[in-house]
Amino acid sequence: MIELAHISKRFGAVAALDDVSLRIEPGERLALIGENGAGKSSLMNVLYGLYHPDAGEVRFDGRPVKVRTPAEALARGVGMVHQHFTLVPTLTVAENVVLGAEPSRGGLLDLDAAVAQVQASCRRFGFSVDARARVDSLTVGSQQKVEIVKALHRGVKTLILDEPTAVLTPQEADELFSVTRALSESGLAVVLISHKLKEVLAFATRLAVMRRGRKVAEVAPKDTTAEALAALMVGEGNASDSPLPGPLPAGRGEVVLRAERLAADKLHDVSFSLHAGEVLGIAGVDGNGQRELAEVLTGLRAFTGTLELFGRRCAALSPGEARGLGVAHVPEDRLRRAVVADMTVEENVALGRHGAPPFAKGPLIDFAGRRARTAQLLDAHDVRPRDGTLRVGALSGGNQQKLVVARELDAQPKVLVVVQPTRGLDIAAVAAVRARIHDERARGCAVLLVSLDLDEVLALSDRVLVFFEGRVTAELDRAAFDERLIGRRMLGVADA
Amino acid sequence: MREALRRALPSVLAIVASLAACFVAVGLTRGFGTAVDAFAAMLWGAFGDWPRFFDDGGSGAVLRPLGEAGTKAALLTFTGLSVAVAFRVGLFNIGAQGQLMVGAVVAAVVGAQVELPGVLHVAVCLGTAAAAGALYALGPALLKRHRGVHEVISTIMLNWVAVSLVENWLVVGPLRASASGDNSISGTAQVHPSAELPRLLGDTSRLNLGFVLALVAAAVTWWFLARLKRGYEWRAVGLNPEAARAAGIDVGRSVVHAMCLAGAFAGLAGAVLVLGTELKYPATLGAPYGFDGIAMALIGGGHPLGVLGSALFFGGLRAGGTRMQLFGVHKSFPELIQGLALLLVAARYVWDRLLARLAKKEAARA
Repeated sequence: MIELAHISKRFGAVAALDDVSLRIEPGERLALIGENGAGKSSLMNVLYGLYHPDAGEVRFDGRPVKVRTPAEALARGVGMVHQHFTLVPTLTVAENVVLGAEPSRGGLLDLDAAVAQVQASCRRFGFSVDARARVDSLTVGSQQKVEIVKALHRGVKTLILDEPTAVLTPQEADELFSVTRALSESGLAVVLISHKLKEVLAFATRLAVMRRGRKVAEVAPKDTTAEALAALMVGEGNASDSPLPGPLPAGRGEVVLRAERLAADKLHDVSFSLHAGEVLGIAGVDGNGQRELAEVLTGLRAFTGTLELFGRRCAALSPGEARGLGVAHVPEDRLRRAVVADMTVEENVALGRHGAPPFAKGPLIDFAGRRARTAQLLDAHDVRPRDGTLRVGALSGGNQQKLVVARELDAQPKVLVVVQPTRGLDIAAVAAVRARIHDERARGCAVLLVSLDLDEVLALSDRVLVFFEGRVTAELDRAAFDERLIGRRMLGVADA
Repeated sequence: MREALRRALPSVLAIVASLAACFVAVGLTRGFGTAVDAFAAMLWGAFGDWPRFFDDGGSGAVLRPLGEAGTKAALLTFTGLSVAVAFRVGLFNIGAQGQLMVGAVVAAVVGAQVELPGVLHVAVCLGTAAAAGALYALGPALLKRHRGVHEVISTIMLNWVAVSLVENWLVVGPLRASASGDNSISGTAQVHPSAELPRLLGDTSRLNLGFVLALVAAAVTWWFLARLKRGYEWRAVGLNPEAARAAGIDVGRSVVHAMCLAGAFAGLAGAVLVLGTELKYPATLGAPYGFDGIAMALIGGGHPLGVLGSALFFGGLRAGGTRMQLFGVHKSFPELIQGLALLLVAARYVWDRLLARLAKKEAARA
């Protein structure tokens, strides 16, 4: 049994954890829920030896222990799978799993033994992964399995999963939960960090709710509801589990974007048109060409076929030209594509628009104009903290995303390409981002929404294109939305 | 301001630590009395012999060392800026040495073979040398942009091309000065007086206009990077090229332009060396100022004013180092100090840990 007793941890002036106590029993499935920045990950990072608490102690079977490094945590049977994987992409599954405890023969790595060991582990724990496959050839879901196998292979007795389903398809998430449920029934303690209420209610045996660095409640799933949990997480009585905007009014404008036989890499022969004032959702399992489509439309990827923007045929499109024509982009990977983490909030607000007022005066940067516009945007979009001089890397993920959305919408785009806009965000941030998309649509902006969250696509879209292997396998209007049909088409299954 | 000091602290600590290490090394081998004398001599030689100035009031005791320090610092500033500017867009310009050689030989040729009136001649020499350095950096930049060739590889190789082309062929072959009288002459022909950079302190010191140009170059570079749209673009490209591209910034163009500016700075360093002190391209250039530029850029934290600061300091040490010989200490100690400081700056992790711990202790005490 693991006890975290009166743990406190401060980062500068911010109390990430404030006198939090938590017990983890063998064989239980404990869900740690709360908004972004509530302290869930921080608490588990303390247990995993990544953070050192300012006060309080960690006890293993009643004995206080200082966990200084993840290696010490692993030695005590605690493993953690982060949102960002820690695999070496060019090594095989087996090599990754045994890394740090490689079987050797005569001083040389015994690869065959490694493969055999890993295959045995996979079988024992119920995972189907090819031990000889290179990690970079695997899907995100499989890579996550490798992370879990890696932890279990070390004989971990407590497994922490940090928002594991954020990157998974619904099927993969189901598989993950059934496997981990089986593992917990054979004695493994599982700690699930999440803010998806549906999944924690279905999966966990116990729930701990965190808010602003404190544990505010501990309940059994059968004694609570999604609404009650949401209220605890947000701290007010008015939050709901599905903060989706209401039904969409009908009424779309002229065609602003037309694609014909568009092809690029994983994208094959896709034709569609996008109207002003509509949200066109792209549904599909990860890796079926949606990402490539978004990149083509925003000028980030070369293509073949015909692309017409506002009636103008674009033989090729650069990111600058796309922006110039009024295409805004909220990309999937904000740290890679949307922000420069080592620049300030103000500098990032200007990014992409730095050439024109209020961000520039002739060839010079207009510092006053930039500061004023930034302050205005931080207020309007509730980006916290309201400090334009901070490095963007110092903001939480949710606030980074709000900043990106704020910037992209501030340009008053005619076409908005959003990819996974709410991934990893808390309930309040999700609601804010979805409401913004809805507002843009009402303003007459054409929105192309790519999301792996089918509920999100269905809730926000007027029309849905289903992608499978880079082709459109179904096109449905809102009136004809049929989750089961879409699910089949996402998997390329013909109708029975 | 506080932020700037905080960022400079690791470099300052690195310099102090390497000074101390060298002091101890000299002390252990030559005795600490000698070490004190030698370091004092270096200090006076670097930043002016103030005790002697106050004793007999001869301004030369102060101006001569300072002038020599400034002369060296000018070259270090230019090559340091060359490397730092490339750093800003995420490139490692190891080719400053080659670009400097090309700039130097062009300045020597234009200074000696072309006849122009005073100010114009200097300007044309500097301009052509900068252009030559930029052109020499353009190749690696274009290869990087269109073929993805790593600039470290291409610029290193071009350094050797420059050595072969300039020192092993041009300077001893076609451009070799014809011997006059019975003086055997090495290097290229002397530049015309109209091409010489004016001396700032008359005959007291070799300090010349190059020093002023270096100060201006550092200030303008800072202004460009901090205040101009284009400088902002360069910084974004260096920090996150993918986000810069998605924001519509032409990453390839920024890389090419920055690399050309880097080459121009290195070329100017060559011109200042030739027109300011050597007055011709000598048989060999002596100190590898191009490579020293890497040290200046790293110790200066890639910041133009940081580069200027470290160039002034190490320029001084270089100037003063020769005086250590009077006490039997080898004159290469300043370079040793620079190397050690570079090593310690590169091991920035150590400093960050140390500073974090100190900050923690302070917070605990408060």
